[in-house]
Amino acid sequence: MGTLATEFRIAYNNGSGPGLAAVLTPIATRDDPDRLLSFYNFSNPAYLTKDLNSSFFHGKNPRVPKAEQHAWVDIFAAYWEAVGEILKWEAGHPGASAVAIFNAWKKVANAVIRGYSVQSGLPAWSLPCLYTVGKFLRTFAIKADLQVASQGSSGLDFQEEVAADFEKNATLEDAARVINRMFTLCLSDRAPIEESRKWGIYNTTNLLFKTYFKINSVGLTKNLIRAIKAQSDDLPPLDAFPKSHIVTFEYYLGVIHFLDENYAEAEEHLTNAWRLCYRHANKNRELILTYLIPCHLVTTHTLPSNQLLAPFPRLEKLFRPLSNCIRTGDLVGFDKAMSAGEEEFVKRRIYLPLERGRDIALRNLFRKVFIAGGFEEAKDGQPPIRRTRVPVAEFAAALRIGTHATGRTRVDMDEVECLLANLIYKGLMKGYIARERGIVVLSKNNSAFPGTGV
Amino acid sequence: MNSSVPWRESRWPAPAPSAAPVPFPTATPACIPVQARRSLAHNKATQPATNGYPPQPAMPSTESDPRPRMEFPPAVRSYVQRCFAPENQVASVDTKEMQEKLRFVITDAAENHKLEMIDWERLALPQVMIQNERNKILANPSVSHWGMSSQPSSPGDASRKRKSTDIHQTENSPPWRKANNNRNRFEDRVTHPSTEKRPRMTTDDSRPVIGRCQKLEKNYFRLTSAPNPDTVRPLPVLRKALDLLKKKWKQESNYTYICDQFKSLRQDLTVQHIRTDFTVTVYEIHARIALEKGDLGEYNQCQTQLRVLYAQSLGGNPTEFKAYRILYFIYTRNWTAMNDALADVTAADKKNEAVKHALDVRSALALGNYHRFFQLYLETPNMGAYLMDMFVDRERLSALAAMCKAYKPDVNIRFITEELGFESDEQTARFVLEHAPAELLEERNGSVRLLTGKAGLVFEQAKSEAHRVVDIKGQI
Repeated sequence: MGTLATEFRIAYNNGSGPGLAAVLTPIATRDDPDRLLSFYNFSNPAYLTKDLNSSFFHGKNPRVPKAEQHAWVDIFAAYWEAVGEILKWEAGHPGASAVAIFNAWKKVANAVIRGYSVQSGLPAWSLPCLYTVGKFLRTFAIKADLQVASQGSSGLDFQEEVAADFEKNATLEDAARVINRMFTLCLSDRAPIEESRKWGIYNTTNLLFKTYFKINSVGLTKNLIRAIKAQSDDLPPLDAFPKSHIVTFEYYLGVIHFLDENYAEAEEHLTNAWRLCYRHANKNRELILTYLIPCHLVTTHTLPSNQLLAPFPRLEKLFRPLSNCIRTGDLVGFDKAMSAGEEEFVKRRIYLPLERGRDIALRNLFRKVFIAGGFEEAKDGQPPIRRTRVPVAEFAAALRIGTHATGRTRVDMDEVECLLANLIYKGLMKGYIARERGIVVLSKNNSAFPGTGV
Repeated sequence: MNSSVPWRESRWPAPAPSAAPVPFPTATPACIPVQARRSLAHNKATQPATNGYPPQPAMPSTESDPRPRMEFPPAVRSYVQRCFAPENQVASVDTKEMQEKLRFVITDAAENHKLEMIDWERLALPQVMIQNERNKILANPSVSHWGMSSQPSSPGDASRKRKSTDIHQTENSPPWRKANNNRNRFEDRVTHPSTEKRPRMTTDDSRPVIGRCQKLEKNYFRLTSAPNPDTVRPLPVLRKALDLLKKKWKQESNYTYICDQFKSLRQDLTVQHIRTDFTVTVYEIHARIALEKGDLGEYNQCQTQLRVLYAQSLGGNPTEFKAYRILYFIYTRNWTAMNDALADVTAADKKNEAVKHALDVRSALALGNYHRFFQLYLETPNMGAYLMDMFVDRERLSALAAMCKAYKPDVNIRFITEELGFESDEQTARFVLEHAPAELLEERNGSVRLLTGKAGLVFEQAKSEAHRVVDIKGQI
């Protein structure tokens, strides 16, 4: 306890939020491996409050208002209990369980929330404590759910309209409710902005986003976004917040739009995240690219360069085969690469946008047909013009080669027309089909396949 | 959609009485006897347990007529002071509520001549009384005003869900009942991936009920309290009930009746925690009937539950319903859910004809390959066609938008008929005319042609109109 109390006093006197948060962190540090144990041994349930009071606030330093003192004592009393559960767990005590740790830590979280909600309670500069407590609440909940799952389903209660997915995350859902209160606590603070908890809004939102993604309730994120939007007039601009909060926030916002197939907005947010992300945070950069690359494929029809993928072997494996097939217009290869990667794509929720890459592959194949068609006879010294009237049959032939069609799986002319019509409709090809004459009339002046130079 | 609006409007006024314990007008009660009396009546109803003195019989209102201004004893004055002291304020009770309560407590005491009798030092502060009352209401849901209106009464009352079929019922019910029905209905359909509902469910319904009811037919009524074994049918009775329902459906095809009966059947299974192949059968049959009748809300409830049941390998036809599920998400355009549905498909499933068909439909649409899509439409296995019918017109408009942009100057309407799975040129023409002006069709050399060069914008608009996100209550 001695050290922990000293740490608290120092952090408090320095007005250091992260310092206070470090005190509340429920893990031992390298410098002080017995940190938790010595704190736990320092007191017992009967004298806990008294001990905390005297060691934290005795004397003139720091000067803390009464209400706030109570709040801190409540928090550390709950913390003491939680530390007890953690130590039991670490010692392999038979009565220990991840669920008990979670429940004890939930009390810490509730004490912190109460500390901020009461009049003249915890000051806003100590918000990092809220982040730390929320972060560990989520971690402990996940561990507790794993433990419950490994012990077998404890009498799954059959409920209409409650799907199995929701059973296995019961504790995490509970955590989400608590974190949601933290979110409201930050969002609804009306104190002047300098000392407002509004500065914690993105951190708590990110934590909730993470949690909702994990419990497979992405839909719930919409409520948060709506709540923030409704308050946006009272919030400082995004770039006034710490970058670490914003990168994550933009990333999730991007992914949420991505899942709704709003690729333009998704791209905007993901690009922001990519731009702000710390250079050496490779895991985060990889996560951003996982969604940004498919996004680009859909919005701008561009493929990732070798240089971009080089530092990320996992992404390389994920996207390289596919991009190669798209580039060369290899439809069979594309379909193979899609089904080979299907499981991974579906897991990462990028299957649907990647599938659209087939259009680009098809465009590239048809573009070859156009180029192979050569030039019209040049007239009186004019520069030669490409042949812009291409029989549908030629595209069909390309498709037959491109899909390795045999006599049995013949290519249906109507289907070829349909594919052509789609490319034209999507703006990947310019021109029109004259059905009666069986030809495609392509645009002249190097614009038949926009953006590809021909 | 629309149905949620009346629900929302009606939701707010109703809980108010429970939240604000004393609906007391702001006028000073001392001068208005009628209101003083009203407060007494209320006192009898809600006070005794909380404020610590026995209720008095109501006094005739005339007695408290214009009273002379009276001096309050010091104990009362100090009580009032304590009420307003900042350290005694409670965040959840605002000053106005507190003042009203305070006024009520004092007037009441004065009128009953108890000013001297009450121990003002010990009497709870009004803000605390208010809190206590609220807690009492929270702790005891049966006090809440919501529980009241949903007693099982006439069969027509049981909340059913069809939109069009039960108009007669909503029309002759009073507005408050309508509101409550709507609410039940809404609750019915919303699945709760989140949060609020769970704890209640696990605690309330953890022990299965064993039914004693022997009747085969039973109207559905959404439970608001623990099920009563006398009205729950045990498994053997449920089996007979299912046979009866199957027969009735074949003979009468009365969907309103059947749906209601199936819902009560499902409920009886749920409250008794029966989870066997029979459960699967019930859900599957109900899902198929709902599909046939286009009741996608009900269908989706069954589908969601079936997914859980299949996960426990209780038999049934998982692949058939996996295929429906994919088609359903195509219809609702719920891509997040679609991704989940794809994740559920195993390699073995893909060999199944129906699943393969559904996956092909999905990929054909994703790539805009209408040619393939309409070929698949014509060869849909099982009851998938009912689902495809829900979105086939929407996809026809998409295809027409693409065709109009790609084909110049016109196409033979016969081509559209063939490509878009219409039954005849007449049907095609009728479909085109529903969305486009007649000038766009032209007769030439004995065939009707669509002037695709001019129709692009028309179909583009019709397409985006049709592609607004489908919102179905009860969707995951």
